Amino acid sequence: MSLSMNLYLPIAGASVNCLAIFGLGGVVGLLSGIFGVGGGFLMTPLLIMLGIPPTVAAASDSNQIVGASTSGTLAHFRQGNVDIKMGLLLLVGGVVGGTLGVQIIALLRKMGNADFLISITYVLMLGFVGGYMFLESLQSMRKSTRNTHAGAPRGESLYAKMIRWMPFQVDFKRSGIQLSALMPFLLGTMVGVLSAIMGVGGGFIMVPVMVYLLRMPMHVVVGTSLFQILFTCMNVTVMQAAKNHTVDFVLALLLLLGSAIGAQIGVKIGKKLGGEHLKILLASLVLIVMVKMLYDLLARPDILLTYAGGH
Amino acid sequence: MYANVTSFCAQLALAALMLVVPGLAAAAGGTLTVSPSAIVMGAQFNGIDLTVTGSVPAGVDVIVRLTGTPDELHLREKGKIFGLLWMNVGQVTATNVPSVYLVSGSRPLQQMGAGAAPFRLEALTGTFGIKEEGADSSIDIPHELLLLKSKEGLYRETAEGITLGETTGDMQQFSAHIKAPSSLKPGEYRVEAIALKNGSVIGQSQTVIDATLTGFPKWLSDLAYQKSVLYGVMATVIAIFSGLVIGLVFQGKGAH
Repeated sequence: MSLSMNLYLPIAGASVNCLAIFGLGGVVGLLSGIFGVGGGFLMTPLLIMLGIPPTVAAASDSNQIVGASTSGTLAHFRQGNVDIKMGLLLLVGGVVGGTLGVQIIALLRKMGNADFLISITYVLMLGFVGGYMFLESLQSMRKSTRNTHAGAPRGESLYAKMIRWMPFQVDFKRSGIQLSALMPFLLGTMVGVLSAIMGVGGGFIMVPVMVYLLRMPMHVVVGTSLFQILFTCMNVTVMQAAKNHTVDFVLALLLLLGSAIGAQIGVKIGKKLGGEHLKILLASLVLIVMVKMLYDLLARPDILLTYAGGH
Repeated sequence: MYANVTSFCAQLALAALMLVVPGLAAAAGGTLTVSPSAIVMGAQFNGIDLTVTGSVPAGVDVIVRLTGTPDELHLREKGKIFGLLWMNVGQVTATNVPSVYLVSGSRPLQQMGAGAAPFRLEALTGTFGIKEEGADSSIDIPHELLLLKSKEGLYRETAEGITLGETTGDMQQFSAHIKAPSSLKPGEYRVEAIALKNGSVIGQSQTVIDATLTGFPKWLSDLAYQKSVLYGVMATVIAIFSGLVIGLVFQGKGAH
């Protein structure tokens, strides 16, 4: 008798193949380890394709990210790549922004067509972030071949002057930068609002924000992002389980097993790849997802009805 | 209510038929058996193959169907905005939608004549209650709902799985295989066998089968619904713990 790989998940209300879920976790975990993004924007659609209801897929994914980012944070922490001071400030901002975002969504729902706004926000954000990162890292890769300096000093921009003028200057030793404490708080709030509206952990917005607006070094960015995502997803998991009963903990554990292993390998690959290569790869990934979402908006769906609930 | 009325009508029809055609008493009586007699959903549950057996008068068409309890569904309707972008544009509430509808015939239902029409998948569309809000009415919602449910494997109409056995006297054995998907919910399911001759129903019998969770899935489901905050905290703590363990395992390997 062959060993059955099927497992029945009572919360998702479906039977799944353990190996398929495990493999899916591994691939997404690999990306998460390399780029420091939660991978929610990839994992959820793939789970839906495997027959998991969308609301359960999104909530269980948050549960999985808790575990994956724990092991990812640990790996980065050992290498000294987590700026805890910065992470906590971003987190406090993120919680404020998240609460604000939930209120905004409720208001939009009342006015109707919140879904349209969510999709458009996605396409614009992904397109803008992906496009900018792609062009920027392409430019600096060309520069670095001519110029052996890793970080060529740029002219003092208006933005840099403004940062220096802000009160509450704090020294962030891990990142090797000096900033006003208000900056990570405000940017964390902004990302919190966006990620609440879009229903994701926000890693793929947070990473560019840390690179371009906080000007942190790429390797610290990844560790700090994972640290911040860990707490965001803990909050989401408990809230979803309590309110909507959509967390399938067995599904999450299976995904976690795959993704935690993938993430460890990802961290090692990330170390080998240069910062510019990392950026251009993440940019390409973000752009691919953007194109897929744009296609979904433009192409006629097979079935003109969907279940309500979730986004 | 719907189910009660239907089964009452069916019983009435059966009572009338039994008076008219004595041979049908057997078809309508207790000869319909389903095996296994209950759907038990444990950790290894991966859908189920039900076998329905019974006897019908010789030379008739047989329809066997499995129906779930009627639900109210909340749906979103997609439409085009600015003639370009597909978005959810309206809300739809559908009532009296059976959670599952699996019907099979000893030959294609459309060949069985008018009597088979009410049992066809398309006939369900007439029984749905549809309420639309803020949508354009150009979409055939009941039809789209059939597509949605069929894609999930919860609705199906086939001409496969029914075999007619040997004839004894003027009666004939039949057995039907129904493949039910793993996505069915715990609850009551109605199994019916319908005999048709020359395009009209001449006999109908039914039984009820229960689907229940058991073992680990039942424990987990009870916890998630009855102690949801505890469940959420537990899910989070176990995830963190597993993450740490996996991290430590990798560190151990890396030290070599």
